[in-house]
Amino acid sequence: MSLVQGGMAEIGTPSDEPWVRDLTDPGPPGHLAQRSLHDLLLRATRHQVWRLRSQLPGAGPADLEDLAQEAADDALVAVLGRLATFESRSRFSTWVYKFGVLHAGVAVRRQAWRHREVTLSDTFDVTDDSPAPEGLVQAGDLSRAVHAAIDSVLTPHQRRVTLALLVDQVPIDVLAERLNTNRNALYKTLHDARARLRASLQATGHLDESSPRSAP
Amino acid sequence: MNHRHRPLSAAAVDGLLLDTSPYLSCDDCFDRLDTYVEQILADPSRVDVAMQVHLKGCGACAEEAEALLDLLTS
Repeated sequence: MSLVQGGMAEIGTPSDEPWVRDLTDPGPPGHLAQRSLHDLLLRATRHQVWRLRSQLPGAGPADLEDLAQEAADDALVAVLGRLATFESRSRFSTWVYKFGVLHAGVAVRRQAWRHREVTLSDTFDVTDDSPAPEGLVQAGDLSRAVHAAIDSVLTPHQRRVTLALLVDQVPIDVLAERLNTNRNALYKTLHDARARLRASLQATGHLDESSPRSAP
Repeated sequence: MNHRHRPLSAAAVDGLLLDTSPYLSCDDCFDRLDTYVEQILADPSRVDVAMQVHLKGCGACAEEAEALLDLLTS
């Protein structure tokens, strides 16, 4: 099922547990409630780590379990820190799960890229002395226009971020960590860069304004 | 010596030219994600333009949304 286009599925029906109201209790009931919360988070982090395990080809079951446990620990701190912001717009368990999924996803992507270099370049050209592949020599008009727009309308920072994320496929969390920034800031940079590229290509007639999300 | 452009895949071109308006930050997407996923599961035809545009434009948020959906239906 696609979240973008919708599809057919049903929500499971487990109800939220009574221990939730004990989470802020400073005594034994609170400790028990936090253990239950950790169990809930662990379900989400295990699920996400196993979903993404292909990104960690050298990791065995014990490694994946360690990653899931660490992510659940981190997510527990995050949930407890934002407990007051829960507004019951969804089930508590769904709200909790999203923290587990987030922390596990970030952990897997960072682990997968731990030993990989991220080369940030604000130039789009490469130089080599090998014959250029036929496909590159015969690059289409749209591709050439995109290249030109990247070179001419993006700032150096926008080029570095955009090329790393969309051409070199560096995960946004990994790039954020290497640049000492956050996902929000990088996505905003990407959003602004895309708007500049679209405006440039629309001005040159390479992009149809009436079809705002696709090339003509 | 040749000076040439790095190759651009069709997917990269699509990603570069994606219209991600209306803007929604990753933090705002995360804040709304639990509600959004439950609403989509209850009514797959539900339209939330800002969320759907963001999920098309942010691979990490989209992957996490899919994981949450998968978890709720597993």
